[in-house]
Amino acid sequence: MSREIGEVILDLKNVSLAFGGVKALTDISFDVREHEIRAIIGPNGAGKSSMLNVINGVYRPQQGEIVLRGRRFARMNPYKAAQAGISRTFQNIALFKGMSVIDNIMTGRNLKIRTNLLLQALWWGPARREELAHRAKVEEVIDFLEIQHIRKTPVGRLPYGLQKRVDLGRALAMEPSILLLDEPMAGMNVEEKQDMCRFILDVNDQFGTTIVLIEHDMGVVMDISDRVVVLDYGKKIGDGDPDAVRSNPEVVSAYLGAGH
Amino acid sequence: MGFFVETLIGGLMAGMLYSLVALGFVLIFKASGVFNFAQGAMVLFAALAMARFAVWIPGWLGIDNALLGNILAFLAAGGLMFAVAWLIERLVLRHLVNQEGATLLMATLGIAYILEGLGTSIFGSDIYKIDIGMPKDPVMILEGTFEGGLLINKEDFVAALIAAVLVGLLTLFFQKTSTGRALRAVADDHQAAQSIGIPLNRIWVIVWCVAGVVALVAGVIWGSKLGVQFSLATVALRALPVVILGGLTSVPGAILGGLIIGVGEKLSEVYLGPHIGGGIEIWFSYQLALVFLLFRPQGLFGEKIIDRV
Amino acid sequence: MPELASTQALDTFPRLLFHHAQVRASKTAMREKDLGIWQCWTWLEVAAEVRALACGLAEMGFTRGENLAIVGDNRPRMYMMMAAVQCLGGVPVPLYQDAVANELLFVLLDGEIRFVFVEDQEQVDKVLEIQAQLPHLEHLFYDDARGMRHYTQAFIHDVRELMAMGKIHHRNHPDLLAEAIASGHADDVSVMLYTSGTTGKPKGVRLTHRAFIAAAQGGVDFDDLTDSEDILSYLPMAWVGDHLFSYAQAMVAGFTINCPESAETVMNDLREIGPTYYFAPPRVFENLLTQVMIRMEDASRVKQKMFHYFMAVARRCGAEILDQRPVGLADRLRYALGRMLVYGPLKNVLGMSRIRVAYTAGAAIGPDLFRFYRSIGINLKQLYGQTETCAYVCLQPDGQIKFDSVGRPAPGVEVRIAENGEILVKGAMLLKEYYRRPDATAEAINADGYFMTGDAGLFDDDGHLKIIDRAKDVGKLANGAMYAPNYIENKLKFFQHIKEAVVFGDRRTMVCAFVNIDIGAVGNWAERRGIAYSGYTDLAAKPEVYGLIEECIEQVNRELVGEGVLGDSQIHRFLILHKELDPDDDELTRTRKVRRNFVAEKYAVLIEALYAGRQSQFIETAVKFEDGRQGKVAADLVIRDVRTFPLARKAA
Repeated sequence: MSREIGEVILDLKNVSLAFGGVKALTDISFDVREHEIRAIIGPNGAGKSSMLNVINGVYRPQQGEIVLRGRRFARMNPYKAAQAGISRTFQNIALFKGMSVIDNIMTGRNLKIRTNLLLQALWWGPARREELAHRAKVEEVIDFLEIQHIRKTPVGRLPYGLQKRVDLGRALAMEPSILLLDEPMAGMNVEEKQDMCRFILDVNDQFGTTIVLIEHDMGVVMDISDRVVVLDYGKKIGDGDPDAVRSNPEVVSAYLGAGH
Repeated sequence: MGFFVETLIGGLMAGMLYSLVALGFVLIFKASGVFNFAQGAMVLFAALAMARFAVWIPGWLGIDNALLGNILAFLAAGGLMFAVAWLIERLVLRHLVNQEGATLLMATLGIAYILEGLGTSIFGSDIYKIDIGMPKDPVMILEGTFEGGLLINKEDFVAALIAAVLVGLLTLFFQKTSTGRALRAVADDHQAAQSIGIPLNRIWVIVWCVAGVVALVAGVIWGSKLGVQFSLATVALRALPVVILGGLTSVPGAILGGLIIGVGEKLSEVYLGPHIGGGIEIWFSYQLALVFLLFRPQGLFGEKIIDRV
Repeated sequence: MPELASTQALDTFPRLLFHHAQVRASKTAMREKDLGIWQCWTWLEVAAEVRALACGLAEMGFTRGENLAIVGDNRPRMYMMMAAVQCLGGVPVPLYQDAVANELLFVLLDGEIRFVFVEDQEQVDKVLEIQAQLPHLEHLFYDDARGMRHYTQAFIHDVRELMAMGKIHHRNHPDLLAEAIASGHADDVSVMLYTSGTTGKPKGVRLTHRAFIAAAQGGVDFDDLTDSEDILSYLPMAWVGDHLFSYAQAMVAGFTINCPESAETVMNDLREIGPTYYFAPPRVFENLLTQVMIRMEDASRVKQKMFHYFMAVARRCGAEILDQRPVGLADRLRYALGRMLVYGPLKNVLGMSRIRVAYTAGAAIGPDLFRFYRSIGINLKQLYGQTETCAYVCLQPDGQIKFDSVGRPAPGVEVRIAENGEILVKGAMLLKEYYRRPDATAEAINADGYFMTGDAGLFDDDGHLKIIDRAKDVGKLANGAMYAPNYIENKLKFFQHIKEAVVFGDRRTMVCAFVNIDIGAVGNWAERRGIAYSGYTDLAAKPEVYGLIEECIEQVNRELVGEGVLGDSQIHRFLILHKELDPDDDELTRTRKVRRNFVAEKYAVLIEALYAGRQSQFIETAVKFEDGRQGKVAADLVIRDVRTFPLARKAA
């Protein structure tokens, strides 16, 4: 059995975003197919993070629209995105530092919690059973990411590489259909990068999760992506499979020009 | 010795109530970064509602049983506080997301005035009594240990017990339930919480509801002790030094801070009062807070956040 | 038909297993932490799974006497597979889970292995890497299905398939397993363990059921072990120590083995299980102590004061109290208070609150380290043995602990010292043979039937055996004085700041040393002094660190002077190596013993510099990273002279 890339699940049409007078994204369109690993790359300041923030509704583009599974969203917001099955990680790791690893990942289950506040407050019957079921799910994520040894450690005390892993864990606990990864390998050493690549490929493979990831380092991403979008100064300068992108002269010059 | 212990216990019990009010501040500050100046007004409003409902409801329903009347009044007042919390989120906070701390502070000042005004216009401006059947007579304890025993006010004791139970329940709620976890998550990082599907608006309503319940309990206890009157709103000002002492972001800090202030007030009144002059009780806590602001502005347990206020 | 007839003697492991399944059916035999929960297997359940595994193997054509390789961490099913193989009269061959593909290749070829059972994808990949070179390989089973979905090769199977097949097989041939067990014999080989071999290729040591049951029974009787012991099984399954403690003794006594969740969680799991019986090589005890010390240094002043005060009390009388020797009332009271405030909580943190007996072996343990654990009330003892003797030669009896000996010969073991000082042993626990190496077997067992351990040692006046060194390593200095390199190295390694040491001196005029610092302990030491460093190489080159190590070596010299014949072996010069000695670079064996000759050859230029009196030496070394990539580490190493002391006997 092998994963099959499906229909277009997420379609961005003519998205433009500006902060004040500064244009961050100019008329960008691309699509993401179900089950694929889609990378957005570009030199620093190319607008990659803005792009991701548009998809998950942190920023509202002045123009353009987002079509998610055929539904049009002129205005997305992070909560709606999460409800629609989009989860994400953060470049600067936005974990809850004072909480333990397991509590952090448990927060990822929040949307799935059905019992109401009153039952929870009484720690009663269904609420308790539900809590245990979610805990079991979270344990699977912990097992998957091989972080059993830090289960109870407050996140703030963990080294950077492990925090990145917990961040991914929290996003996975949401059982997303689309996973947005914001520079998942930034600041990692070679070994940690390899681990992260393995986890990304495994997530995609075992759960069929569609993955959109951004990176400024071309190397690793090219190996694991199905298709790549290249941004430079907020404009799309390339789109296609890794080989096509690698041989695209505009992409090459953008990277050379940026000193890569 | 016996007298000292008596004073100490009296201070601890008063302190427990300060803790309760301070807790209201801390809960809201942690979850939304808002320093809620309306906490005092909420205490007054809740106490007024309780006092009046305890008279009105038995009247409307023709109930004779005082206990049942009190319970119904308490539930009604609680419901009213929930409604207030919901309205505050709807009408005020939702429109001020991501504004400056000062803006939000001003907004809560506004809320305070509205609540006070609304309270007096709905419930009247007389001094009311809340009678929830608290035992009033003092008792002697530990007569074997101390000469003459210790004179303890039963009312204080019950009040402190109620406050302690409430704090315990809140802790359990925060640590053990998924909503509690979501509350902690929001307190830790708004943006991250939102992006994993924790609805900020709902969380804020819940926090204000909890703060409302805390205010209600505090209001009922203070009210049954001193009577419900406008000056209850200034109780909040007494709790201000408590949060400075304990740290704005720390629940244990609020509790410990309350106890320290409570004990400090009573001891200073009794032991320093005769030398410096009476009334130390009123300003002692502010002095203590001032000292803390100089040497440890983040409070006993707080994070470096106080500059946001 | 039941697998065990009541008339059969319990003289093979399968018979022991099915005996337990009858007499303590619902007692917990194995635990493993998985998904955050301790999963349990009763003896009955273990027997059922073993039955399924064995019948599955039979269905796949596994034959009597053949070898089956087992590669992975300690997992219940890995142990069950051992029993299943033994049921069919086969020989399980556990391998080190961190062995690289080439090391696996040797064993799989040497044992003509058709069946391999591995833990997970990582191990499957390793086998696939060398698959082309394995003409015998027919079936590869894995335990953990994670990541295995895309492996379509027909010879790779989920072990659950094997068990399902086994259940069907058992239904169709209900008597087969019982017959197989009945036809097993105590003198059949029960397991083959490869010795890591400090020199040359590994050898397969073949040990019989009789040998291992004798060794296990001896140990169980010696320490009064019952079926209610709990042991944490976390040491490599390929190590004889784990096989004795986690398999043979558990099978003989019927106690519970507990498998940790992962290698990183061992400390936590230890705390949760609170084993009553514990076995670890000295380095584990050392790591634990180092962690405690590091944490104490970060603790508040009051705590530190309390800790040091009560540790001094414990040093003074703790070991005596444990041995039930007379101790003054005042000290007894202080010790009782210390137990409440320090030792108890400390033992709890270490996961050692319930320990009745703990053993260490595999290398010499530092006297301070050993004393530390005994003084806080942990009954830590030493044992001595080799793979060839089921890790069972000498044991320290309760109450007769000497820090520098390994105790008395164990029940049923005969020990002699040869002319050249070599220790010779004889008993039921001896190996049957080296696999397909009659030459090596003949070399190791002398005409009188004694196994030649290769260790040099002597008996003290109380009949306790004291180990000095490897017999072949004991050499002579140029002036003819006796020179025991391991003895000196161990003295060095007893310092918490020194992780490894290699000394040179055979047929030379003086003794010189290479040192590896302990990055954890020295790193912490440096941080507290505000010394910034970027990594091992940088830290090792700091003059302050050199000073620290120099003090340690001076201390060793001072001790050596007091030991008469070894006084000539004082260390004159040393250097701190620029990289850590590493099994991946073949500098250490998998059990972390130094490969002396290899190191001497690899770093010949450094040795030359030491003896030529140079003050520094440049060196560049190739290293292998964990992911298999190659790299280079280069440094200009400083060489330092150390103070030596005049020999007392010359003055006398």
